Amino acid sequence: MQPKKQIFLTGLWKDNPVLRQILGICSTLAVTNLMINTLVMDAGLIFTVCMSSLTVSLLRNVTPVRIRMMVQTLIIASYVIIVDIMIKAYLPDISEALGPYVALIITNCIIMGRCEAFARHNPPLSSFFDGLGMSLGYSLVLIAIAFVREPLGFGTLLGFRVLPEGFVHWTVMIMAPGAFFTLGIMVWILEHFRLQSGEEKG
Amino acid sequence: MLSVVYMFLITLFFASLVSSVKLLNDQKIERNQTIKLQKIILKVLQIPVQGQMTGEELARIYTDRVEEIDVNGRTLFIGYAEDGQTILGYAMPVGGPGFWGPIRGMVGVSPDATKVLGLAFIKHSETPGLGGRITEPWFTGQFKDLPLHPIKGDQNIFYLKPEGTAQAANDLDTITGATNTSSAVETFLNQELDHFLKKLWGSIEETK
Repeated sequence: MQPKKQIFLTGLWKDNPVLRQILGICSTLAVTNLMINTLVMDAGLIFTVCMSSLTVSLLRNVTPVRIRMMVQTLIIASYVIIVDIMIKAYLPDISEALGPYVALIITNCIIMGRCEAFARHNPPLSSFFDGLGMSLGYSLVLIAIAFVREPLGFGTLLGFRVLPEGFVHWTVMIMAPGAFFTLGIMVWILEHFRLQSGEEKG
Repeated sequence: MLSVVYMFLITLFFASLVSSVKLLNDQKIERNQTIKLQKIILKVLQIPVQGQMTGEELARIYTDRVEEIDVNGRTLFIGYAEDGQTILGYAMPVGGPGFWGPIRGMVGVSPDATKVLGLAFIKHSETPGLGGRITEPWFTGQFKDLPLHPIKGDQNIFYLKPEGTAQAANDLDTITGATNTSSAVETFLNQELDHFLKKLWGSIEETK
């Protein structure tokens, strides 16, 4: 059994779901044009991944193998609906801005991926830390992309102006392709250093 | 067989969990939506509201100053001055297809239905920063004092033109980079304003 710290760090960096596994790209493209939307999406995903992994792991010895995916979908959907209701009740403005994306957390591959690949075979606490590492890894990448997209696309960061008034906004950064370029360049640079440091040799 | 029982039980458990969270928060969600709608109605009727007002204060002003009546299946909101007698204007929900999805809004007109008092968009799914800019004050603000007349032939109530090319009083600035959203708004809002005017004039005639 790997120590929990190791499990956590694997998800956060070494097997980062967005940069290394290229999962959860749909929401990465959709919400990263504004930092505030990104943060709410991250919080929703962290809650859902951790709780789903924990629940799937708790039920791992009693769930019949044949219907495990149905059960996982049910668990994930329940947590996502709870997040959606909470945001609608306590953060109505952000709920407006995120539109259907909160409900679409259900289809984020990272959640089911972690349930299938990890939580199904591992004890609850390890699964929880695996979920935490993976979702924080996802969040870090999204924040980094939003940090590029919002200033270039809107001239602002979290709604505060960071670039001068006269700055010509890059329309492409507001649209989904802007995230493709940003993410692609990020993966390129990080892979370059990873290969140079010899981490992947052998 | 065991799988069926298991699935049934686990579904029952999670469905009850979700339902109870929903029930516990339902009132709050509904209240948020009501507050938002009331704020928008007061805004398009140009009834001043302070930014830091609680829901109760807002609801009180709303009940004092706005009356809701039903006109041919659509709600018409009548705004009154502080004396509760003088009519300040009428507001009505408007809506139509945007570029990515339906757009819903609220428009207020003067008591004699000759000009727009205010316009606000309630719900849309346009791209943030592009078509989504229809909710920005510079865009909706242009509609204030727009002269109104029913559409005759191909004469629209207003036109959206590229910035700096406006010539007539009913030429408003379009959103640069959001041509499709702009033309969708231009199309449905012209129709809806025309529709609104006909209904409103009908109901003003009736009450006379």
